[in-house]
Amino acid sequence: MNIFLKEMKYHRKSLIFWSIGVFLMVISGMTKYEAYSSSGQSINDLIADIPKSLRAVLGFSDLDLTKASGYYGMLFLYLLLMATIHAVMLGATIIAKEERDKTSEFLFVKPVSRSKVITTKLLAAFTNIIIFNLATFLSSIILLGKYSDGEAVNSEIAILMAAMLFLQVLFMVIGSALAAVKKKPKSAASVAAGILLLTYMLSIVIDLNENIEGLRYFTPFKYFEAKNVMYGGGLDVLFVVISLILILTLLVVTYVFYKKRDLNV
Amino acid sequence: MNVIEIKNLTKTYGKSRGISDISFNVEQGEIFGFIGPNGAGKSTTIRTLLSLIYPTSGSATIFGKDCIRFAPEIKKEIGYLPSEVFYYDNMKVKELLKYSASFYKKDCSKRIKDLAEIMDLDLNKKIDDLSLGNKKKVGIVQGLLHEPKLIILDEPTSGLDPLMQQKFFELLEEENKKGATILFSSHILSEVQRLCNRVAIIKEGKIITVEKISTLQENNYKKFKIETKYALDKDYFQIGGVNKLEVNNNVISFLFRGNINTVMKKIAEIDIANLWIEEPDLEEIFMHYYEKEA
Repeated sequence: MNIFLKEMKYHRKSLIFWSIGVFLMVISGMTKYEAYSSSGQSINDLIADIPKSLRAVLGFSDLDLTKASGYYGMLFLYLLLMATIHAVMLGATIIAKEERDKTSEFLFVKPVSRSKVITTKLLAAFTNIIIFNLATFLSSIILLGKYSDGEAVNSEIAILMAAMLFLQVLFMVIGSALAAVKKKPKSAASVAAGILLLTYMLSIVIDLNENIEGLRYFTPFKYFEAKNVMYGGGLDVLFVVISLILILTLLVVTYVFYKKRDLNV
Repeated sequence: MNVIEIKNLTKTYGKSRGISDISFNVEQGEIFGFIGPNGAGKSTTIRTLLSLIYPTSGSATIFGKDCIRFAPEIKKEIGYLPSEVFYYDNMKVKELLKYSASFYKKDCSKRIKDLAEIMDLDLNKKIDDLSLGNKKKVGIVQGLLHEPKLIILDEPTSGLDPLMQQKFFELLEEENKKGATILFSSHILSEVQRLCNRVAIIKEGKIITVEKISTLQENNYKKFKIETKYALDKDYFQIGGVNKLEVNNNVISFLFRGNINTVMKKIAEIDIANLWIEEPDLEEIFMHYYEKEA
């Protein structure tokens, strides 16, 4: 419990900043929507004129952007990116920072096992992630409600948040597994961020080139896309299962490697 | 009864030396010195005992229990002061000590206050703002606040001023009287001599000898360097107990073991310009041990 509280306190400030960031992201996105929709010209036509490759890079998909929910679906990609960056950095640093700050000679001579330290730290990270998710959820409900013109959007937002939570946890354990496996855990956060960017790029490349659709299993950003999840699509069971298997595997990797490796002291 | 038993402990990593085939025991209630030059493997041995790193081969027990398998359990009764103290920078001293105490299921608040008073430590400062010596004091309080039965100290005096060292040694002697066993690692012979009952000497990852301090002192010798005003007969100091006599113009140096008066009398008879008498440094003690074995 003491480690948990300490971690919560340590990450409190950054969590507040991230939450404000995500709120501002939703605001700025939805204000743009307001500008588009009030200009009278359909954004769908506007976007149809953009070359397909650029559309893929910008994250415009087949969503109906004249509707507030459709516009939000596009915005969701950026929220997802923020959430996963937060999660992957958190997962990596929460494990690696004891060695980075050379405090492992303090913590690991206390009467606690390494497993217990990891469990507590991951629980703290998970709590942070839940709070991030809720902050996004609340910001979205409040702001989208303002622009939705009576369109029922709350359930759409809820299912998108569920999708986001899967990816958050997945990236958190990618980060923690890296910090556990790497002999120099200092660099775990940067490698984790690198993996995140690579998988994100892969998801864009897949959008550009339909021939490599098969690669979508390798990038979590393709698991739960807004256009598939919204309007009754729900979460694809196959990808839910894949996510869960990945999460469990990476959890086991985190524990096994961290328990048997020498700490950097 | 042995509090620490180390059996053939070996740790090799990559290119750096590590330790090889280390064995020694620390008995209940003694202050055991662990001495050797920097990089000899003192910290490696200690970190293996604390299961921060794992041995390549061999094993160690603390309180009769395997130091890896029962690590969380035995650490309840261990207080550790690392050679370099690093703590969570954004915490106050008080917060850090409370956090440290929260791992042990007892109330340590009075003890923290007492120790801080003895060590003259301001509890309300931020760790960030502390000098090296003051951080070391935090480390000392942190290592002793739960009244551990085994205290492991890795070069504890670096950064402490002589007055604090004195207080710290008194504190350790008091803990020892109350029953604590102490493993004291250092590269400074004099502090080990002052405090310890027995000592293990480590060099290049190997234990050279485990000896009582009293035995070590009997074998001890002094280093003389004398500058004379006039050139002397180079055999002037060729007397019993003198070793490695070197005469370089007016500067004479040698090692001496035996009755110090005989040398002093010889020195009194000549006209000297300057005189240095030193305790041999560690490296020379090691040489001495190598010579004895050869």
